[in-house]
Amino acid sequence: MIRGAVAIFRRDMKKFISTPYVIIFTLFIPIFYLIIFGNAMGGTITNIHIGVVQAEPYTTETPLFTSTVEALRNFRSAPDKPTIFVVTVYPSEALAKQALADGQISGAAIFPSTLPGDNTIRVYEDSSDYMVPTLMEGGITAAVAQTGTQNPVEINKLYGKIEYFQFFGVGVIVMAIFMTTMMGGAFALIRDRESGIIEGYLVTPVKRSSIILGIIGSGTVRAFLAGFIIFIVDLLITGIVLRTIDQFLLVLLVLAISCIGVTALVVSVASRFNTQQEYASTVAFFNLILFMTSGAFYPTIGMPDWLRWITVINPEYYTVHALRSILLRGQGMNVIGYDLMALSIFSAAAIILGIATYKRTIE
Amino acid sequence: MTDEPIIRLEHLTKIFGNNHKVTAVDDVSFEVRKGEIFGLLGPNGAGKSTLIRILTTLLTPTSGIAYVDRYEVTRDPESVRTIIGVCPQNSTLDLELTAYDNLEFYGQLLNVEENLLEKRIWELLKMTDLTDRANSRVSTFSGGMRRKLEIVRAFLHRPLILFLDEPTIGLDPDSRFEVWQQITKLNTEKTTIILTTHYMDEAERLCNRIAFMDKGRLIALDTPENHKRALPAGDLIDIGFDHIDGRVLPAIKETGLVTSIEEKGNSFRISARNGNSVLPAIIGIFEKYSVPMTSISIHSPSIEDVFIYLTGRKLDSGEGEQPQDAGRGKAS
Repeated sequence: MIRGAVAIFRRDMKKFISTPYVIIFTLFIPIFYLIIFGNAMGGTITNIHIGVVQAEPYTTETPLFTSTVEALRNFRSAPDKPTIFVVTVYPSEALAKQALADGQISGAAIFPSTLPGDNTIRVYEDSSDYMVPTLMEGGITAAVAQTGTQNPVEINKLYGKIEYFQFFGVGVIVMAIFMTTMMGGAFALIRDRESGIIEGYLVTPVKRSSIILGIIGSGTVRAFLAGFIIFIVDLLITGIVLRTIDQFLLVLLVLAISCIGVTALVVSVASRFNTQQEYASTVAFFNLILFMTSGAFYPTIGMPDWLRWITVINPEYYTVHALRSILLRGQGMNVIGYDLMALSIFSAAAIILGIATYKRTIE
Repeated sequence: MTDEPIIRLEHLTKIFGNNHKVTAVDDVSFEVRKGEIFGLLGPNGAGKSTLIRILTTLLTPTSGIAYVDRYEVTRDPESVRTIIGVCPQNSTLDLELTAYDNLEFYGQLLNVEENLLEKRIWELLKMTDLTDRANSRVSTFSGGMRRKLEIVRAFLHRPLILFLDEPTIGLDPDSRFEVWQQITKLNTEKTTIILTTHYMDEAERLCNRIAFMDKGRLIALDTPENHKRALPAGDLIDIGFDHIDGRVLPAIKETGLVTSIEEKGNSFRISARNGNSVLPAIIGIFEKYSVPMTSISIHSPSIEDVFIYLTGRKLDSGEGEQPQDAGRGKAS
């Protein structure tokens, strides 16, 4: 019994040692987890954009306005920490609200005029975000209190009360897409290579672009179905409400382009690998870094700068943003157009990369 | 068959590995003629599969040039792929698909016209007697059925050249026989066939010309008959008798047709270069002296004898074998 156990043990260890790539990745993934998870979730949220408006009619800014804005600008969680808010002054309430609706600012504070009977500070906030609304409410209340005035602060939640459940639900759609992609098309590519089936079709006139496009196509459909099912489940259990058919179609569009992008990325990674092991450890790493920086869990403005740079090239970030814009904020093309463009550019680049790196020989 | 070459190799060499170098193909040059069945014969690890993989664009040679039809394999691999059909050594059938689906998949990859494809698939299934199994998964097929399916799959688009890498490896005698029939049938469609094998009988039976490979080198190339004729001993003729006339032996020697003759008990053992044509003359001498013969046997040397003569060892002895996997799809 012992001899057999030792034999199995030794065989497994030999195989383990002979795959340095996999060893490195299995060791590094927990470390990356620590670094990325720790930084993405534990960082202090800064750079919250607030718009401030002095309500009309006014000739000069009221002392309340000036001192509160000053206090907001210098607001920090502790004396040695960076400031939290980025304050922009808007000339009119309409412009500030427009900026808020377009997602340029997270909240707008409207300060009362000097007219009698009007002393309430009205705050409009993007309630679809996580953590940010709470921080903003706290910040504004504290800044007003610092001025020593007793003006009441009225909070208006632009998109109603949004639960973390709903906030996170959107992220889960993206996760479903990625998981399906990991197991989907790209996996078939590696399996064909590993089992040698690939040798059969590499000697046919089929072009490598055809191989890659075919695999991305099948992977995209599978990922889309997964994303779509989770989206429906989301609607049913998180209480997200779709207001129009246009929104529904827009969600499908975002899902489709995202699926192409993520599938193309994974396939282009897979096109270089020979074994499932190498592929699986690499893709697990991609899954971690892309999902963590997508903002699915936690607002990306809470991340340190170096991590936020990853979000710029992270397709999942754009997907999460676009889906939240549609589902939680009811925004349309004017807001998500940018996301769709980024996703399209990303998809095209990943497809080209996949085709260019695909190995047409078996060496 | 014409003498026109369809494949030409010039000093082809393939070296694997960076630190631990393995020369799988070592300075090989030869030509394959249009329409022939060309055999690459050699032990495991002789470099046959590597050579096939270079010719089928799966590997790039370390040095040397190879032309398939008028295309150079490294410069114009796409054109090469359109005129070849390949049946690799290890099965590349998709076991999860049916026989029909496997053929359809390849038919599309091979650009067989869509409206002809279905007819062609049924034609090939019929040729392999697999019509009633068309919609069964290939995983339920026997080794012989899989092999036949894979061979005709390579033939879907009626390629100019068909490469068969060890087409009968691991098959039982019946299945081998069926595969041989299949190959002969395909050859009658004017396709040049190149097959590798380490079975001598297979090469002898099927091939118009045989190239012997050993340790990456080409050691001889000729028709099976000429290979045997090149053996110094030639054919062996045994003639038995009850009693002998003393004049017979010198008379046979005098004809000058035999290389050697010796008396062994009640028989002569004669070696002659061309046994079949020498035999009637020898029988004539026996009759002339009225010596009745009790038995006659003529034994032609086999291709294996040729291999032993050329290399000094048996074909399947495995001596000095290179790792069989030298050419397999492990990546750098």
